[in-house]
Amino acid sequence: MKIAAQDAVKARKGRRPEAVILFTVANQLFAIAAEAVQEIRSTDSLGSALEIEQQEIAKVRHTIERSHRTYYVVNACAHFGLRVVRPTLVLMLRQIRAAILVDKIERMAEISGLYALPHAFTGAERQWYRGLAYVDDQVIPVVNPLGFLTAEEFQRLDGAMAEASRRDLERAVQI
Amino acid sequence: MSAANAKSYVLLQIGNRRFALPSTEVSELAPPVRLHQFPHNSPLVSGIIVRRGRLVPVYDVCPLLTGKNSPSHQFYLVARRHFGSASEPAAIPVNGDSELVTADAVQVTSPKYVSGMLMIGEESIEVLDLDSLVAAESHENNRLDYARLNR
Repeated sequence: MKIAAQDAVKARKGRRPEAVILFTVANQLFAIAAEAVQEIRSTDSLGSALEIEQQEIAKVRHTIERSHRTYYVVNACAHFGLRVVRPTLVLMLRQIRAAILVDKIERMAEISGLYALPHAFTGAERQWYRGLAYVDDQVIPVVNPLGFLTAEEFQRLDGAMAEASRRDLERAVQI
Repeated sequence: MSAANAKSYVLLQIGNRRFALPSTEVSELAPPVRLHQFPHNSPLVSGIIVRRGRLVPVYDVCPLLTGKNSPSHQFYLVARRHFGSASEPAAIPVNGDSELVTADAVQVTSPKYVSGMLMIGEESIEVLDLDSLVAAESHENNRLDYARLNR
């Protein structure tokens, strides 16, 4: 049987180029649309982050107040099921009240097209990723910002926050 | 069985065993190209290879079919996997020894991922039904079938 030669991924025509941020989590490279990120901050600057009392959603342990909004801080290692390492940066997302703990920003890049996730992938990754990009001979998953926390998870977190506030208020009244 | 019913099959080596796939399902035998990996929860899928400008998922079927881990340096047999009316390329790691034969297959019903049996000389070779073998929903059943047949 003939062995086929290797060839490169062909650029797809007619697609709008998209700026992405390449970042790493536990040495794994991901991309996120640049326009989905409102702000990138060092975790050192998050002194005001509040620890929240809830155990249902293990990937969320803290909240950040920003522009009068409460952002839930999602540990990307826990979200993707990777070995947990100490994050150094947080990506504040634009579309949802979530901030993502990551290890490092590699660089910005422009992708010419997004490849649909093959049907072979049937698990949670269908929510995690918008698709795949091919950058510098590397296949990189492009994360779906809306996939970090579902509407149901937001509801549970908001409920846990409301309950914690109620308990704090009760304690304050007793004092 | 008659020669008129004979079909063309690709014989492939997975671990220490030989299997067959209908040649109509096989696109190419790819060299040991880079396997791209990223986090996911899909059973059997070990990553993606890039072939002819397309991203091809790789199904690591060696542990399921042979009970042993896949060798690290391997070729990829690219076939087609069907999803209802759609299909996409699918790769399975094999060693480089593949061959094309024309033979009659005897139909078998078990395990589900085997659609027939070829007799090549003294050797009986299972014809794989790739869709059944790698379908996520049948993964557990295939694992149990393998365990039962190899008790």
